[in-house]
Amino acid sequence: MLIVSGPVGGSEHHRAGHPEGPTRIRAVMAGIDDLHLGTDLQTVHGSPAERQQLTRVHSASYLDELTAFCEAGGGDIDPDTYATEDSWLAARSAAGAGLAAIDALRQHNDGVAFVAARPPGHHALRDRAMGFCLLNNIAVAAAALVSEGERVLIVDWDVHHGNGTQEIFWDDPNVLYVSTHQWPLFPGSGKAREIGGPHSRGHTVNVPLPPGATGDIVRRAIDEVAFPVIDSFAPTWVLVSAGFDAHRADPMADLALSSGDFADLARAVAGFAPRPGRLVMFLEGGYDLVALQASVTATLGALLGTSYEAEDTTSGGIGAEMVSQAKAERADALGRADLVLPPGGLL
Amino acid sequence: MTPIQTIAVGFDGSPDAQAAARCALELANQLGADLVFVHATGLLEHIDEPQAVLDLEETVWVLTSETGFDPGRARWHVDNGDPCSVLLRAGEPPISADLVVVGSRGQGNHVGLPLGSTSHELAEHTTIPIVIVPNGETGNR
Repeated sequence: MLIVSGPVGGSEHHRAGHPEGPTRIRAVMAGIDDLHLGTDLQTVHGSPAERQQLTRVHSASYLDELTAFCEAGGGDIDPDTYATEDSWLAARSAAGAGLAAIDALRQHNDGVAFVAARPPGHHALRDRAMGFCLLNNIAVAAAALVSEGERVLIVDWDVHHGNGTQEIFWDDPNVLYVSTHQWPLFPGSGKAREIGGPHSRGHTVNVPLPPGATGDIVRRAIDEVAFPVIDSFAPTWVLVSAGFDAHRADPMADLALSSGDFADLARAVAGFAPRPGRLVMFLEGGYDLVALQASVTATLGALLGTSYEAEDTTSGGIGAEMVSQAKAERADALGRADLVLPPGGLL
Repeated sequence: MTPIQTIAVGFDGSPDAQAAARCALELANQLGADLVFVHATGLLEHIDEPQAVLDLEETVWVLTSETGFDPGRARWHVDNGDPCSVLLRAGEPPISADLVVVGSRGQGNHVGLPLGSTSHELAEHTTIPIVIVPNGETGNR
């Protein structure tokens, strides 16, 4: 069964000409429709996240500033990130959609969930919006699970490093954050030597990849660098920052994945969940609408074991050396007790 | 206090950034310091024309020339990230700045609110000294 939480952001929070807009949600929903799931599809509509759910991951002062900024009509937050008068509600609704997905999975105790919501979240820091992101949706969900005693794995396969998620859980031993991302690229964080804070050493796993890296390289990063850590961590829930901007058609970056690669990654990540009903996918990036639609179809089709159309998986791109280098740099950082790094947002 | 050998100045082409650049050029001249013009490349610039960044670089060299600063002691540095994160890294290699200079408001800052204000965030989190330069227009707001 597929539980879709949303759609959220299909009309509100938009700016003419900006690539992070409501058309993305329409492409996502079209990708879900292409699976023709019938009764295997359940849609849930959550409530906007409440303040006490947001303050687990964001500072009260930031939430106050963002509220006031939107109430004043919004504007540019930075050269990439905007808000409008309805963005505060849209952002809270996107964060609430993740919480609703978890509730629905718990109720059914089976299936997988996809959070079809925007604005995206993984760049949002504890006290700052950036990179199109206002509230960190996946962090709000993970923090809710941690507050109930769960151990949460976050896999972030968006082409950009999720600096906000990394910063928020930098020193939290109950969250394991794993990211594959293009390097160098926005936001500039995500080096392999960034391994987590003193109470959570090793619970941040970064594998930066060069432009042109193909799907087999991303799988290699997951299998060779992340898998041993994940196996040892033994998560009780798996959340995925499912950006689709690592697709070769995406205008925002230069990795070379296909829709079939996302299906392959989804199957691999699903294997990290302890049992059915413990996997939630969150929409992050993905700005080529055709690729986004096809990648959503392939990802969810693979998770459900249903028939779907997808491009062939890709292989042969550069990056194998960078995976090996990341593994070595990580091992070196883990061996240096004197290495204390600030959270991801400042690196 | 560490001697000021290298000054970094944030530059996004805005009027406030140009005022900051002029101030940084003057400071560097007086202190005999090297100057690094720092530009943060955000998400949108990846899909914009690269020409825009080249135009910004051209602007800083014109400013440098106008002030008579030795161009051999200045360089242009582009880094991925939002302006605040990039300038917070300015104290680390490869820039290794001893002082950061910024305009009070860049392109993305909203009047009257701290949210999104690079200078405000920098002042709160920086580990090296910072100079925030208002321009005339901002000062009259």
